[in-house]
Amino acid sequence: MSAGEKSSAGAGRGKRPQLGVEELHQLKWLLGGGLTLLAVWTVLYMDVEAWTLMALTTVTTGAALIWPRWPARVPALVHTLAFPVIVAFFAGDLWLTAEVLPAMVRLGILLLLYRGISYRQRRDDLQVIVMGLFLIVVAGVLTVSLLFAVQILIYTGCALGFLLVITLTEAAEGGAKPVPHKAGELPAWAAHADWRKLFRRLREVADWRVVTLGAALFVGVVAVAALLFLAIPRFQLENSLFLDRYISKKARTGFSDSIKFGDVTEIQQDTSVALSVDVSDRGQIPAAPYWRMLVLDEYRNGTFRFSPGMRKAALGRERTDTALRGEARPRLGEAVFWTFYLESGVSRYLPLLGEFERLQFREPQNFQLAAELNVVALRDEPVSMTAYRVEGLDASGALRDPAFAKRWQERDAAALLRTALQVRVAVGEADRARLAGTVAEITAGSAAVSAEEFSRRAEDWLRKNHGYSLSPRVPDGEGDPLVRWLVSHEAGHCELFAGSLVLLARTAGFPARVVTGFRGGSWNAFSNNFTIRNSDAHAWAEVFDEATGAWRRVDALGAVGSALGNEAKGEAALASRLDRSWSARFDSLRVFWYRRIVNFDQRSQVETLRAVKTATQNTGVVFRQALERLHAGLKGWVAGPWDGARLVKVAATVAAVGGFAWWWWTQGRGWLRGRLQWRGGRPGDPVRATAGRWLGEIAECGHRIPETEAVVVELQRVRYGARETWAEPAAVFRRARQALRAARRAGRPAERQLGLKG
Amino acid sequence: MTTADEAERWGGPGVRGGARRTFTWSALLWALVHPQRGHRIVPTLPGVLLIGLSMGIGTAAYNSSSNILFITLSLLLGCLILSGVLSWLNLRGVGWRLRLAVPLRAGHDAVVGLELRNRKTFLPTYGLWFELASRTLDPAVAQRAESTVTGRGIDVRAMLAKAEAAVTRGRLALRSRLEPEGEVRLEWGCKPEKRGVLRVELAGVGSLFPFGFLKKEIGTELSAEAVVWPAPVEYRRHAVISARRPAGGERVARAGTGGDLHALRRYAVGDSHRLIHWKASARTQTLLVRQFAAESAEGFSLWLRTDAGVWTRPEQFELLVSFCASLAEDLFRAGRLTGVAIDADAPMPVRRVHDVEAFLDRLATVRCAEDVGRAKDPDGRTAEERSEGRGRKNVMTFVPDGARGVVAMVDGERAASV
Repeated sequence: MSAGEKSSAGAGRGKRPQLGVEELHQLKWLLGGGLTLLAVWTVLYMDVEAWTLMALTTVTTGAALIWPRWPARVPALVHTLAFPVIVAFFAGDLWLTAEVLPAMVRLGILLLLYRGISYRQRRDDLQVIVMGLFLIVVAGVLTVSLLFAVQILIYTGCALGFLLVITLTEAAEGGAKPVPHKAGELPAWAAHADWRKLFRRLREVADWRVVTLGAALFVGVVAVAALLFLAIPRFQLENSLFLDRYISKKARTGFSDSIKFGDVTEIQQDTSVALSVDVSDRGQIPAAPYWRMLVLDEYRNGTFRFSPGMRKAALGRERTDTALRGEARPRLGEAVFWTFYLESGVSRYLPLLGEFERLQFREPQNFQLAAELNVVALRDEPVSMTAYRVEGLDASGALRDPAFAKRWQERDAAALLRTALQVRVAVGEADRARLAGTVAEITAGSAAVSAEEFSRRAEDWLRKNHGYSLSPRVPDGEGDPLVRWLVSHEAGHCELFAGSLVLLARTAGFPARVVTGFRGGSWNAFSNNFTIRNSDAHAWAEVFDEATGAWRRVDALGAVGSALGNEAKGEAALASRLDRSWSARFDSLRVFWYRRIVNFDQRSQVETLRAVKTATQNTGVVFRQALERLHAGLKGWVAGPWDGARLVKVAATVAAVGGFAWWWWTQGRGWLRGRLQWRGGRPGDPVRATAGRWLGEIAECGHRIPETEAVVVELQRVRYGARETWAEPAAVFRRARQALRAARRAGRPAERQLGLKG
Repeated sequence: MTTADEAERWGGPGVRGGARRTFTWSALLWALVHPQRGHRIVPTLPGVLLIGLSMGIGTAAYNSSSNILFITLSLLLGCLILSGVLSWLNLRGVGWRLRLAVPLRAGHDAVVGLELRNRKTFLPTYGLWFELASRTLDPAVAQRAESTVTGRGIDVRAMLAKAEAAVTRGRLALRSRLEPEGEVRLEWGCKPEKRGVLRVELAGVGSLFPFGFLKKEIGTELSAEAVVWPAPVEYRRHAVISARRPAGGERVARAGTGGDLHALRRYAVGDSHRLIHWKASARTQTLLVRQFAAESAEGFSLWLRTDAGVWTRPEQFELLVSFCASLAEDLFRAGRLTGVAIDADAPMPVRRVHDVEAFLDRLATVRCAEDVGRAKDPDGRTAEERSEGRGRKNVMTFVPDGARGVVAMVDGERAASV
């Protein structure tokens, strides 16, 4: 017994055209290339040195997409050597850079590059999908960027389409085992590739109902994935795996341990978001929040820095934990929570408003706490967004420092040595004299000026003598540049103001230091959170007030009285900071991403379930009330007085509804089915539309010759007739073009003649 | 054909009828989660890859508490669910049935038609394949179940291999799209090697749609049977068939291929349209065809005796059956077949195509008989009477010709041999 197979033509209600095997291969090639490009573009936001590879892959894959015949010209030697070279590249990369993850990322891009320029078999297609997913997931884990969400959604859609086309291609080939492709051989589908024709065919074969269903199903997948994301039980394992361990980190921008004049200003040029802050009680928001990050005590040659001595003395031992306790005393009333989302590349020092009771990380972190300075430093600068929640923040602007107060009170030189740089004025004698002169001018010769009073006067003096400019000019001359600027009348930026204040305070005998961080920010009206941009970077001074035993914030560029901590709070403070711009809309998306997705944990899960329960109960109550209202209304309406007009209205309404129901039951369903049925052509059928255009042009031409008469009949058949009766549309359109040209040529002499006569 | 009959012939998820179960949400959910009876779902290589990937990402997600990984895991699981839903949608409303194009002849190509239909309103169906199996049933061999546990000396593998060797398997793929509310016919060619009853089964329906993660296989119990007539054989005619002339007084009116109208009869499938008698058909409102009288009144009767004592060699018996079938067809075509009989069965007159087909159907399944008894030929004579030359003449009987051949004898003379 022997077997063979044959399929006969199918019969359907309305047969639509289908893509052939070659067209499916072409579509597969396009989707595979698209996935490759989408995957390698993760390098754009992933901090990995692979720009050259990405550019090369983009160019070669793009070229192979446009000219699918091109991979056939790749020499066979390339295919033979490809994998040994790739493996050698990976080994060398790993050996030279000693970074596993970047090396793997570059390996993935290389593999995609190779797959992009070679005709793929099924397993190669799967490799493209897996490698692409690897790159996107790695980029997502490392950056926690909102771009990841966009990219993974697009990638999922394309990958599903790609897999679908692969399955359809195999089905169209009858499930036969594919013949391995020989290097240098041009496949038939590539030889016949014509993208315009393919897109035209795609438009022809697409049924809007199937496309709509596909889109709806994809939305369903996203919805199901969202539900799964919410429902997957969360529990934390102790041995956490940090993917970012496998990548070295380096600061791109942001605050570091030392700041030269101009550094903060440089950061201010960047308008990207640096920090987003959620507050559980809006009434606690100060009008001008100062987000402290780093204390710079040592000044030398125009540079303030966090001195090694201070670092050693103040920063405690490194700990690995998810929470830490601060120095603030617990306060009565409901706890206020501040949730910070610090973007990558800003700094390893966490922005804080002041003292705090408790700080909680989302995941275990390696950190050091300088309790005296109220500074928290992570071991490494995070390459992804870092989220932490702070409880009991004191935003008054005064920072208690009992230890320093004690040392200062005792004037214990040995004890003060630890923090001596906060009182030292490291300038030359001439500069020191100039500073002393300025201090005398500020204090008006009075020696008994308190730190608070001196600070206020120094702020006023600086505001009076200097304007604000992001492009300051420091006068030439000898001596310390900061002192030169101080004694001049040049405009300056925050660092110059803060540095000058510190030098003046120290000259006057008050301990002082520069603090860097951010000031202000905008209140996003859509997501109800603070958005602090890099352009809000700021530097200010802190002067020690012996009377209160605390460091006072002094900012010559801030609002008058801001240092006193009695500025407006709550809604009044937010009114001037409301941001309703389009960028705020986009930022609200980012905050949503951080709040609901990135920061989602077991507690959020419980909160979500509770919220769902509450919403369900509320909806049930509202629904029941609505039904009761409706019932009461209906009862009242029926009980109302009935007259003839009312009866007629009711009868007319019932008749209209009944008539519509009858029509729908007898004819309407059939009508709708008829409308939805495929008739072999649609109003938007490109071929019919082209025929209509040619008919219009011929009608406009006005000159009829036998050729146009003949082609008009053919065009009308294509425009209005059944598809089965068409001649080859491309040939008809060619004849139409020729006939139209001939008709126009024939018409020109007559026009000229008419023109001459006119 | 009634609707019930049609429903019986069709198989697949799209077949309506039968006892409808009461709809419950729990039943629906269970049906989505648990494969139905006869359904088998096997992960393919990409499926295994996806599952492995999901497990790896899940482990990493729990290890790192990274919500990015949880998102990826959720999307992968969502894709798996979508795959199941699309696969269910693809098979929903699809029905299939087998059609065998009779008559089938041993050694000749046969066409097995698989008709598919899609009852869905606007969703097409893609990428199905159909596993077909055909084997010739042998009714003479008693099908006895044997236990593989208690049986002694049973080599299960050898038995399975033997059973498998008798089965021809094939796969038909739905290469194109099955349109909504459309039908398509796939054809599978097979060549039955021997006469008997050919049983064609639709062993299973499979699909990788939509993403190729899971291979879904649906077992079916759909089958079709058809009789395979004996293979025609070339034989040698002897003078007795061609030279024999009718004896006086033996002329009988019977249908044949002559020029004279013999009778009118109802149209039967296979009749030439040129034979339709349009006037009579219009008058009687029934399609009638003309029958012409045979030009010669001389005819032969075939009497096949299957005595196992005579036909000791199976291949010779098969040759006998094929020879007999070929003769029957040729004689009927020539209008010279008057009757047929097998062993002791009642003789059957041959007047139309249907009679010959019925005889061929019987030949398809005939086996050697242990005791044919005092069988009578189509003219009512026993073998002894015929050998004595009594009764009617022109009865063709068969005897072995040596170890391999067969000879057809008419009244003691060699009429044809093979």
